[in-house]
Amino acid sequence: MMLPKQGDPVIVQNMTGRYGRLHTRLMLDYGTNVAAGSAPGKGGQSVEGVPVFNTVAEAVEKTGARSSICFVPAEFTLAAGEEALNAGIKLLVIITERVPIRDELRLLQLAQSRGASIVGPNCPGLIVPSQRVKLGIMPAPSFSPGSVALYSRSGTLTYEIAGQLTGAGFGQSVAVGIGGDPINGTTPVEWMDFVQGMEDTKAVVAVGEIGGDAEERLARHIEKSGYSKPIVAYVAGRHAPKEKKMGHAGAIIYGDYGTADSKIRALTAAGVKVATTPVDVPVLLKQALG
Amino acid sequence: MRLFEYQAKQLFKQYALPVPKSVLVNDADEIRGAFASLKPPLALKSQVLAGGRGKAGGIALVNDPTEAEREARRIFSLAIGGERPNALLVEEVYPHEQEMYLSVTLDRGDRAFVTIAASAGGINVESMAGKVIRKISLDGIDADFAAEIASLLKLPSEQARQLVSILLSLERLAREKECELAEINPLAVGKDGVLMPLDAKVIIDDNALFRHPEFAKLHPEDEFEGEASRQGFAFVRLGGDIAVVGNGAGLVLSTLDLVGDAGGNPACFLDLGGGAQQERIEAALRLVNRLPGVDKILINIYGGITRTTDVAAGMNAVLAEGVVKPIYARVSGAEEEEARKLLAGTPVRMYKTAPEAVEAVVKGA
Repeated sequence: MMLPKQGDPVIVQNMTGRYGRLHTRLMLDYGTNVAAGSAPGKGGQSVEGVPVFNTVAEAVEKTGARSSICFVPAEFTLAAGEEALNAGIKLLVIITERVPIRDELRLLQLAQSRGASIVGPNCPGLIVPSQRVKLGIMPAPSFSPGSVALYSRSGTLTYEIAGQLTGAGFGQSVAVGIGGDPINGTTPVEWMDFVQGMEDTKAVVAVGEIGGDAEERLARHIEKSGYSKPIVAYVAGRHAPKEKKMGHAGAIIYGDYGTADSKIRALTAAGVKVATTPVDVPVLLKQALG
Repeated sequence: MRLFEYQAKQLFKQYALPVPKSVLVNDADEIRGAFASLKPPLALKSQVLAGGRGKAGGIALVNDPTEAEREARRIFSLAIGGERPNALLVEEVYPHEQEMYLSVTLDRGDRAFVTIAASAGGINVESMAGKVIRKISLDGIDADFAAEIASLLKLPSEQARQLVSILLSLERLAREKECELAEINPLAVGKDGVLMPLDAKVIIDDNALFRHPEFAKLHPEDEFEGEASRQGFAFVRLGGDIAVVGNGAGLVLSTLDLVGDAGGNPACFLDLGGGAQQERIEAALRLVNRLPGVDKILINIYGGITRTTDVAAGMNAVLAEGVVKPIYARVSGAEEEEARKLLAGTPVRMYKTAPEAVEAVVKGA
């Protein structure tokens, strides 16, 4: 994983669609160097003054971009992701929701073989406030530069908690929504290991939710690896019913598998401070940083 | 999307997997007819998606038509995990001495599909002794792979041969129909050594349904769930009195937790989804306003790109249509002050933070 820096060229896939257009403007407004777009059959057009090419390969060739943000509909996300990874994209952020599981797994295998990273799908993307760079759809005012790394499985909850952190004076070194699907291109463990190596990061906020065992795995990893930075977590869904998909494809409890209680117990046992509500996150962070 | 057992078994038949002889009945009055084609003793199995139907009394063994009719009436009157059975699967009982377990499922943590097999089945896969787990390729498995699973289970050669054939079919079904789970539990070993799937559990990847139109109309939809899905909302009915509406699945989940902690009972979970514009707010409010059991409506919107004035305008539009249940709203984001002005003098109560709105809605202040 390589985070984009100020000035790094970025490609927007399906730039000419409704969301592609809107977020091209919002990313440019924030300071991201959106250098090119791609959309089959739309080559030669421009959006917000940014040139659109028919293929990612052309856009990469003209700009040297290594990062792409993908707004391609779910039916075509596999093909679009393959196109980007085969064109040399090393950081692929997939915003699209409702991508089939097997398509996600195929993209993940391709990314691994190309030495590339995927963030998402079904995510708000990532933002690096100190660099004024975002590859995402998050509202900029919730975020501010600082030394807390934030990850979340949910979109608006990322903004809510970033807003709480910003309000309490805790800026963010980086914030990422890893996605609400059962399969994440970047897992919590991979993400936590990555931010452990970031010099400008003093603490980590981990936001999970019901479904799967990502938080339990993270807890085991924290214990085993002797994770060195203070961590505050929040897990949504303590009052969620079983066997019901709660909005996200990945937010579902099967039997006793995937409950918030299991996750909170595992994280607490690993020494992580777990907040009961989003507003408690900055309070616990203050304690953790002493 | 989880299939009913009888639907999963129809799928099994398409893939040449053995299943016991059965008849589906939709009414207790039809049950006597089942005895014309099936040999007793028969199992009456309620067709529900909720777990634990056996414990809830949703399965009965019967020997004659009179007993069958009585038991069928009893089962049709049950609410199993809140779900009333629409059908009974009437199945010939398969005499057996051993129960095994076999599935193809997504391992989320390892980000791969796996097959899980065990020579002793059970209710809880997690604690199943001696189970074998192997990753499977997205392109499928071959007979050698299946034979290795059978040999790890130390099956006698005739059973091993059957298991290979069953696993190959089950994996092909799971792959071609894009299942998150295709499970046989139990896989019975008959007195004559013949393997027979007694239950079938299939969950299709919802996100792959566009490639599988054959599953489009398999489930009777409740009126509200149908309406919510047409509007593109994520919606779950919960049975309490406070409708919970917000933008973003995680935010709405976290709002349910706040309501639960404060002692309230949510009536539903409704995620408006991204770009919550005025029309979407209106549609959501109309839907929850007529949802049975709803006394109060809680709205939690973290507006980033959503303009709070659009949210306010949506509320006003619905208020103008007539009687609306009391609305407690936390709407944060751009143009908050203007939104407050738009709602001044209306019955909508606005709060600065989610905990404040939740406390008010639970107390009913």
